[in-house]
Amino acid sequence: MALLEIQGLRTYFKTQEGTLQAVDGIDFNLDKGQALGLAGESGCGKTTAALSIMKLLPANGYIAGGKINFMGQDMARVTGDKLRAIRWRDISIIFQGAMNALNPVKRVGEQIIEPIILHEKVDEEVALKRVKELFEMVGINPSRIREYPHEFSGGMRQRVMIAMALACKPRLVIADEPTTALDVMIQAQIIALLKSLQKDLDLAMIVISHDLSVLAETCDVLAIMYAGKIVERAPAGEVFYDPHHPYTRGLIAAFPNIHGEKKMPASIAGNPPNLINPTKGCRFYDRCFMKQDICKTKEPPLVEIKPGHWAACNFVPPMKG
Amino acid sequence: MVKDILVVKDLQVWFPVRQGFIESLVSKEQRYVKAVDGVSFNIKEKEIFCLVGESGCGKTTTGKGILRLVEPTGGSVKYYGKGKEILLKDMISDALAKGKITKAQAEKMTAEGGIDVRALHKSKMKKLRQKMQIIFQDPYESLNPKQSVYDIVAEPLVVNGIGATEAEREKRVVKALEDAGLRPPKDFMWRYPHEVSGGQRQRVGIAGSLVLEPEFLVADEPVSMLDVSIRSEILKLMLDLRDNKGLAFLFITHDLGVAYVFSDRIGIMYLGKIVELGPTEEVVKHPAHPYTKALISVVPTPDPEMRRNQIILKGERPDPSNMPPGCRFHPRCPFVMDICRKEAPATVFVSEGHWVSCHLEKGQAK
Repeated sequence: MALLEIQGLRTYFKTQEGTLQAVDGIDFNLDKGQALGLAGESGCGKTTAALSIMKLLPANGYIAGGKINFMGQDMARVTGDKLRAIRWRDISIIFQGAMNALNPVKRVGEQIIEPIILHEKVDEEVALKRVKELFEMVGINPSRIREYPHEFSGGMRQRVMIAMALACKPRLVIADEPTTALDVMIQAQIIALLKSLQKDLDLAMIVISHDLSVLAETCDVLAIMYAGKIVERAPAGEVFYDPHHPYTRGLIAAFPNIHGEKKMPASIAGNPPNLINPTKGCRFYDRCFMKQDICKTKEPPLVEIKPGHWAACNFVPPMKG
Repeated sequence: MVKDILVVKDLQVWFPVRQGFIESLVSKEQRYVKAVDGVSFNIKEKEIFCLVGESGCGKTTTGKGILRLVEPTGGSVKYYGKGKEILLKDMISDALAKGKITKAQAEKMTAEGGIDVRALHKSKMKKLRQKMQIIFQDPYESLNPKQSVYDIVAEPLVVNGIGATEAEREKRVVKALEDAGLRPPKDFMWRYPHEVSGGQRQRVGIAGSLVLEPEFLVADEPVSMLDVSIRSEILKLMLDLRDNKGLAFLFITHDLGVAYVFSDRIGIMYLGKIVELGPTEEVVKHPAHPYTKALISVVPTPDPEMRRNQIILKGERPDPSNMPPGCRFHPRCPFVMDICRKEAPATVFVSEGHWVSCHLEKGQAK
């Protein structure tokens, strides 16, 4: 059985203008030790999908339907103490923007010790030892345990965040834009670190980013999201070499390729649709270069086009048989 | 021959380090953070020159130093754009009248024609800044949320006292919005920043710079906060401005991938110095400095085949208030030699217009 099974997940937000369908029916599975990348533009619902798994939605957000099956329990129904026991111990998250996610007036060591003591019911000495191990693991000198966040550089703070997420030996780590605010060189360091940790600890990971390249380097499987739906899902290499959905193709063409010819990358004109009362047809219709009249009314389902490779487009034929 | 619009020579921006009480007893020497430490380059008319480097390498400070948004502590910045002419005439006749220069000197100054940006008085600098503008990095932070798009774009006009009537100002705002690709301008003018998308916000920021009809723009990471899918639209807009309006750009970025597809020439900066400079394709395809090579190797790509031979540098840049001796890059350099720890490398040409500062390269000295 998969570690995490998501079926038809719908997460909506109540707003003044109406109900915003941020995530509207997505499915994916995640096995132990597997890394899945959620890609898409800002506002496509990738962060909302991840927050739904941890049930960290803001007050006006709610799970409107679908199943989140984590190790045999339906997360959509888990509440209270049971939920608290799962959070951080079984599923943890590396938040976006490491610069702001740490408490500036607390020493970094204390911030990591806290969840360990709370969840594992151990004394401070044991927890401190564990923090030192964690620091070693993510490449920070353990002597820096008593320093404050402002004494760390951006890349180092991100390492602290990673150490914190691993504090209680979780099975699943969600990384929300783990490298977005970082320089390319530090980004490469963090990606290398995430990759090695994932392998060494046999972690399941969900990495969220608007940057396909970051995902391609860290994940086994990619799911491309657009306007609350998964439009293509395939092994990372397949997405690059054989993209089927026009949106995926656009995203890949938008990358400046330093190894190729010097030319301006293409862009995807237009903006994503409003997710309050979205249209009936394909949500990518407005920006699609392959659109036909049928797309206005017929919403394409996500179908398997070859083993392990799924796409949702009216013009991509499903696998035979 | 294409003329230069800007010549920067040995630009230096040092920030004094405030000493603690104990430290002030022990050491007499004032320490500095050498954010920019002897940077020289030129930008030609209609050229896009790119400064690339990690955060803290001084690329933004260089841009700000040129516009004197921070005061440089040394070196010279000369501006040769058309906008200088009125200013120059003004200044020369001023100086003549006050008897500060002789007629012969005045004639020579007119012939040379560059304006010494660092020597300008504040009031004159304000005038020159109409021609030298800046686009900021973060369109989410740099726009006042309480101002409408119209007010944001019109503000530079008000500040500089341009446009006698509201109607005149409106005309210029409409034109600037159009030039920045916000069409039709009437649709955007009365919106507030939260009512437009990220890409459009950056266009509003660009319109705010264009409204003064500049000749030279410093663009400080204008696309790093934007989604990949809309980045190239903003880059294309800037290319358009160059092609159709003859704007020259100093483009500042940490992303060599963007610099590669977009710029004419690149300067690679490390710890306050340019370590390699040359035509973009030449630098990217035949990098000479180990730092450039490392930067190129880590540019992220979605292509799994291209992900071999990454050179990931260990650690982070040293503290710029405590520079390592010799070559500044030596603590992180994979090819470090004995000489690198002692002597700063000379600058040598490796091909036409392409120079590098590294002990590994032998060539004609610059």
